[in-house]
Amino acid sequence: MMLPSWSEVRERWRTMVERRRDLVGINRRNVTLVYRHNPRKLYPEADDKLLCKQLMEREGVPLARTLAICEGLSQIPDTLESLRELEQFVVKPANASGGEGILVVGERVRDGVWRRAGGEELTLAEMRYRLAEIVFGAYSGDLEDRAFVEERIRPHPVFQAFWGDGLCDIRVITLEHRPVLCMVRVPTRESGGRANLHQGGIGLAVDLESGKTVRAYYRGSAIVTHPESGAPLVDIQLPRWPEVLETAERAARSVRLGYLGVDVVVDAERGCMVLEVNARPGLEIQNVHGHGLGEALRRYGGIA
Amino acid sequence: MTGVGRAVPQKSPPVRLVMVALVGVALAVVAVKLSAFQYSLAEVLPRTQYDVTLHAELDGHDGEVRVRTFLPQSDARQVVMTEQNLTAAGVSFSSEAVGLNRVATWEQSSAQDGQSLAYRFSVLATPVRYQIDPGLRVPDTYPASVRGYLAAEEHIQVDAPEIARTAESAGADHGTILERLQAVFALTSGMKQRPFKGTTDALTALRLGEASCNGKSRLFVALARRVGVPARLVGGFVMEPGVKRTTHQWAEAYVAGHWIPFDSTNHHFAELPERYLTLYTGDEALFRHTSDINFKYRFETETVLVPSPKVKSTFRFFNVWSLFDRLGLSFMLLRTLLMLPVGALVVVLFRNVIGVPTFGTFLPALIAASAGETGLWWGLLAVLIVVVVAATVRRAFHRLQLLHSPSLAILLAAVAVTLLTTALVSDAVGARKLAYVSVFPVAVLAISAERFFLELTEKGARPAFKSLLGTLFVMAACWAVMNSLALQVLLIGFPELLLIVVAVDVYLGRWIGVRLSEYLRFKRILLPRAGGAAP
Repeated sequence: MMLPSWSEVRERWRTMVERRRDLVGINRRNVTLVYRHNPRKLYPEADDKLLCKQLMEREGVPLARTLAICEGLSQIPDTLESLRELEQFVVKPANASGGEGILVVGERVRDGVWRRAGGEELTLAEMRYRLAEIVFGAYSGDLEDRAFVEERIRPHPVFQAFWGDGLCDIRVITLEHRPVLCMVRVPTRESGGRANLHQGGIGLAVDLESGKTVRAYYRGSAIVTHPESGAPLVDIQLPRWPEVLETAERAARSVRLGYLGVDVVVDAERGCMVLEVNARPGLEIQNVHGHGLGEALRRYGGIA
Repeated sequence: MTGVGRAVPQKSPPVRLVMVALVGVALAVVAVKLSAFQYSLAEVLPRTQYDVTLHAELDGHDGEVRVRTFLPQSDARQVVMTEQNLTAAGVSFSSEAVGLNRVATWEQSSAQDGQSLAYRFSVLATPVRYQIDPGLRVPDTYPASVRGYLAAEEHIQVDAPEIARTAESAGADHGTILERLQAVFALTSGMKQRPFKGTTDALTALRLGEASCNGKSRLFVALARRVGVPARLVGGFVMEPGVKRTTHQWAEAYVAGHWIPFDSTNHHFAELPERYLTLYTGDEALFRHTSDINFKYRFETETVLVPSPKVKSTFRFFNVWSLFDRLGLSFMLLRTLLMLPVGALVVVLFRNVIGVPTFGTFLPALIAASAGETGLWWGLLAVLIVVVVAATVRRAFHRLQLLHSPSLAILLAAVAVTLLTTALVSDAVGARKLAYVSVFPVAVLAISAERFFLELTEKGARPAFKSLLGTLFVMAACWAVMNSLALQVLLIGFPELLLIVVAVDVYLGRWIGVRLSEYLRFKRILLPRAGGAAP
């Protein structure tokens, strides 16, 4: 193996220093973006998904319908009763992050028995246990919590084509309600149907202006097709493009937080909908795009 | 704009001002203490107290045994306190002054095999260093009480011709007292060291040209006496934390009314460090005992920091020292409390600058704080055992699908039982230090075990063990820093320096640099040619 020459090392060092300028690490994100734009007392407006939905609804942001809310142990029987007839729905904790505690029901087998999106059967007792876990705060850092039930979203064919078994979402980073950077998160079998990148999901970098995917990133390297389905991932035009950004912008305006990750999905029939809003969006989007967030913040976010 | 109203992006807080203020106040208080109250560092800083236990074992064969030794006495250099004979009842104990020394005797009419004796005392010592007036000449006569220290003894052959010749050829037989002592010391301290256990007399040491401490000291005494300076042997041992089975001998010379120490073995000329403990003076054996009893002894020494008397008396404001004294709380606890912010700063460095994952923000510092009794390695092992066992129990109970709080309660019970079991087992197998694991904070370990379990189930084995390793690593770093004697001493003398620690916390709190671990995470962004190429 040849050792790199001194000038090569110096050149690479210079490149590193230059690219580092645009890189946002956790320290920089917290100090210059989160603390500056998101006052702590307003966190619940994003963290509490039910409150957030209320605020967004008031501003006319399109949302998945809430079918039931379970605010405590005593309400579990009523909640279960209201689910009995439903075919497809999603159970979520109001205060949890990273897709924790979410239960996706894909089919009703018979009374009191469903099938999860992954295929396993789900009994009434298991459903009761999950609801109890949620209201006892198992997914929200030991705080008491509420569970809520939403209609299940049917992905638009473009997203369906990426991966059929889970929900792809579009993560739009906004600064003072201006979209600055955007990616699509595609689940894999490995990620258990969740679109989280740390759990083995795929990230697609999206060009903000055209709405086309420009780069796909999976487990540390760039790819062009889905590693399991083989579906093409790059240079795909996302549907309803300007509408996705407008929806994200409107969602960002409805809460008083300035630096957000807005998760938008495109339903086959109802179009753009906001899934949730995150007050501390992750930094992995930089790896997906292959460059730091800094340039986008300057270009679209109005930061000098 | 919407009807909700918007929070304006916050302005940068006055971070620099706060930092300057914190550092300024800290330095000002130190300056005032040093100038206005005339603190001298040596007076304010805490002292090292040595807690020494003499253990002896013997096989009595059911016969009569007698063991005699010397007990330390307080003098200008050392203060001996809180003495305690820990030997079991049935063995009679007495102590009396014999000449310059204090002699202790244990007697038992029918001693069994494996009989043990123990005696405990604490010592506060000060280092000494003497300046010998270079103009002093050997006087014509000495007081009667000192004259005896010029004469020959069985092992100190002052009158041997070889001693006289050596004193002459070394140039020790003329000049001032200082010059004579320097010549003698140069000769004895220049001899080769020989780890020889038995008695070496002065002449043998001279002939061999090498000796252990007692041979060199006897030669020093013989030569000094030969050239007209009264001198004597001193026996004792060098107090260092741990177990010692060797004693030490050095010498003292009488100069202008003072007995001045000289240790040829460890090259201390007219000085002794703090850790030297004097047990007796004269050419004596430390132990005399009934023969054939397979006698063994050891000194176990532990060091603790104690506040200097000056600190206790001068603090009128924020006088936690006297409060702790009155409440009977250990000085160690106070020390731990003062060091905890420093440990926390270490954790901050590891998390925010290096990016090491740990369970919880300050768990490593808290665990490190309680690892004082076990020591670092046993402490790490203890944490590893407890966290892994408790998390395994937690996992077993997880199958029962219990609710969160009851699960945590069970986890706490598991930690408590694991701690006690570990203590029992380690005591049984002789790992006594590990037995001190029972003083570890149960709640802190329970939280660590819970985090480990959660990461294990949610993120998988790799990240969970990474965090466990990170926690242990940062704990070791905290332990090293929190146990640094220099830092402890500094903070106990000047607790206001904690404000500087806070100032560093403030700085790191606004530091927006890239963490070391993030260079790895974003290496494809920072170094695009380093293997991030698209297929």
